[in-house]
Amino acid sequence: MTRRIIRDLPLNRVEGDLEIRVELEDNRVVDAWSSGTMFRGFENLMVGRGALDGLVITPRICGICSTTHLMAAACALDQIAGVRPPGNALRLRNLTLMVENCQSDLRQSVLMYMPDFATPAHAAHPLHAAAVKRYAPLAGERCIDVVRETRKLLEIIAILGGQWPHSSFMVPGGVTYIPNLAELNQCRGLLQHFRRWYEQQVLGCSLERWQAVRSVSDLDAWLEENDAQRDSDVGFFLRFSRGAGLIGQGRGHGHFLSYGSLDIPSGSAVTGGEDRYLVPAGFRTADGRIEPFDQSRVAEHVASSWYEGVGGRHPFDGETVPLATGADGKKYSWSKAPRYAGLPAETGPLAERVVGGDALFGDLLRCYGPDLVSRQLARLVRPATLLPAMETWLDELLAQRDQPFYETVPPLQQGRGFGLIEAARGALGHWVEIRDGKIARYQIVTPTAWNGSPRDDAGVRGPWEEALIGLHVADIDNPVEAGHVVRSFDPCLVCTVHVVGADTTPLRC
Amino acid sequence: MANTAVICLGNRFIAGDALGCRVYDYLTRISPRAAGIDILDGGLCGLDLLRLVEHRQRVVFVDAVAGLAESGATVVLSRAQIAAHAGGYGHGAGLPYLLQLLPALHPLPLPEIVLVGSEGEPDAPMIRQVAELSMEIAVHGTC
Repeated sequence: MTRRIIRDLPLNRVEGDLEIRVELEDNRVVDAWSSGTMFRGFENLMVGRGALDGLVITPRICGICSTTHLMAAACALDQIAGVRPPGNALRLRNLTLMVENCQSDLRQSVLMYMPDFATPAHAAHPLHAAAVKRYAPLAGERCIDVVRETRKLLEIIAILGGQWPHSSFMVPGGVTYIPNLAELNQCRGLLQHFRRWYEQQVLGCSLERWQAVRSVSDLDAWLEENDAQRDSDVGFFLRFSRGAGLIGQGRGHGHFLSYGSLDIPSGSAVTGGEDRYLVPAGFRTADGRIEPFDQSRVAEHVASSWYEGVGGRHPFDGETVPLATGADGKKYSWSKAPRYAGLPAETGPLAERVVGGDALFGDLLRCYGPDLVSRQLARLVRPATLLPAMETWLDELLAQRDQPFYETVPPLQQGRGFGLIEAARGALGHWVEIRDGKIARYQIVTPTAWNGSPRDDAGVRGPWEEALIGLHVADIDNPVEAGHVVRSFDPCLVCTVHVVGADTTPLRC
Repeated sequence: MANTAVICLGNRFIAGDALGCRVYDYLTRISPRAAGIDILDGGLCGLDLLRLVEHRQRVVFVDAVAGLAESGATVVLSRAQIAAHAGGYGHGAGLPYLLQLLPALHPLPLPEIVLVGSEGEPDAPMIRQVAELSMEIAVHGTC
């Protein structure tokens, strides 16, 4: 007899306040709802403040990707000012954003995603004991190592930006500080150390060897090539995932979005795509077509979100007016539902690779679909794509330190601008309108709003709601399978949902 | 770098979490400053506090607490007591998470670590009391 039930899934180690409700039929997910459960109100908090206040306030949205919000805020103000910062400012901004993304990718992979491999739900897996030793929360040897090494890497932002997190060293026209040669050399040493560690421990091989992996068959050969690669974090992740039957699980809609990121300075030795970005922009449809990205096609729906309004609105026309009612039963999340050309879109490292035409991830999609293993693998190996450019930009800063880091801009009185970048979790946009020197409108669309969105006006599920459909959950009281799916999107609900009660007051002691 | 540090934590934009910031303001206005003790603003850092702890002999954290004392009362907690509140890793992983991992991250011996805290919106007497107690522990330890 078929048994249908609706359950709220207990998911820990998901950043922020998230509830996942699923409808199960004989332990298989047939419907899903994702709810961001905390209203924060940063966008409304910005209105009426000084034109530059976003540079100080928006980095406080999140403690793990504060440089990311600073970058988006600064880019929006660059546009309003009508200025492209000098090459050295672009190098320094890019470098710090890439550092932040590298630390986030590794902390998410090793401290948030892989600990699922150490749960009793995988006790029968032949690699379970090794997974416990490596990834058990607060004790796994790889967890300790990642905390130690990512902390060192972040010193680069502290040196170049004054502090991490919550720095405000980017301003319209450039950056506020010119590092001296000793500081740049110190950053070079930190980056070299990180690269060496990443190659030895995370990849088990050189960046060049990894970059030669261009197909599923190459990946299979790489995995069997030597013990260092098999025992690396990437090797272990692949072996465990295959043994646990995770390949092909957690497929989303198959639409991918990248805003493009990391503006390449004129004259740089770093090369990118036609659009002058190291990470290309584009939209990939489910049938595999890649279209140019056009920000005017972004809209946010609120039919299922606790906000007033109807229809999809472009962020320049967007409102954030809370409407906390469940009266009609349709609204169930504080996250809005962003759509591109009317479609839900997955964003993040996998989207970056797919939109950019990466051979390995294109082949993985052809073989297994847009599954959770490809999604998480893309995150774990993204630093391999960033590190060479980071080194080049640091070398160029050392060689051209006498060139400008800032171009004077007049006070910002009127105008509209957007800052669109690729954050650790994917496409992040700040849309800003300035009137009479004050912020008249500030709309932020985060990567997790894209990935964790509720249903839109047409009732279409968001990406990770869709990715849960069809998933078999062996034990609904310990839904580790659902955890794999949702965590593979690297959710950050604290950024997404737009005063917290006594029961959730952070307790630091 | 001094062997002892008083590291003040908190968010000055949230009254109930501003104790550390207000104590930092108080301690950095005192003249002359205590020799051999660094007074540091740790802001909202979590794992990044590690570099402020490394290579010290004694560290006194100052922070607001919740649910551990009557409003207005001052508490002193040991490293183990703070670490006992560590949960799983998250983007807001803070002092408990760091102190739980510290024995694995830091060469032995660990510095003596305590936290001086108080609950509720800090007023001038509370700020002075916490500041003076923090400095007393920084100089003499908890023994």
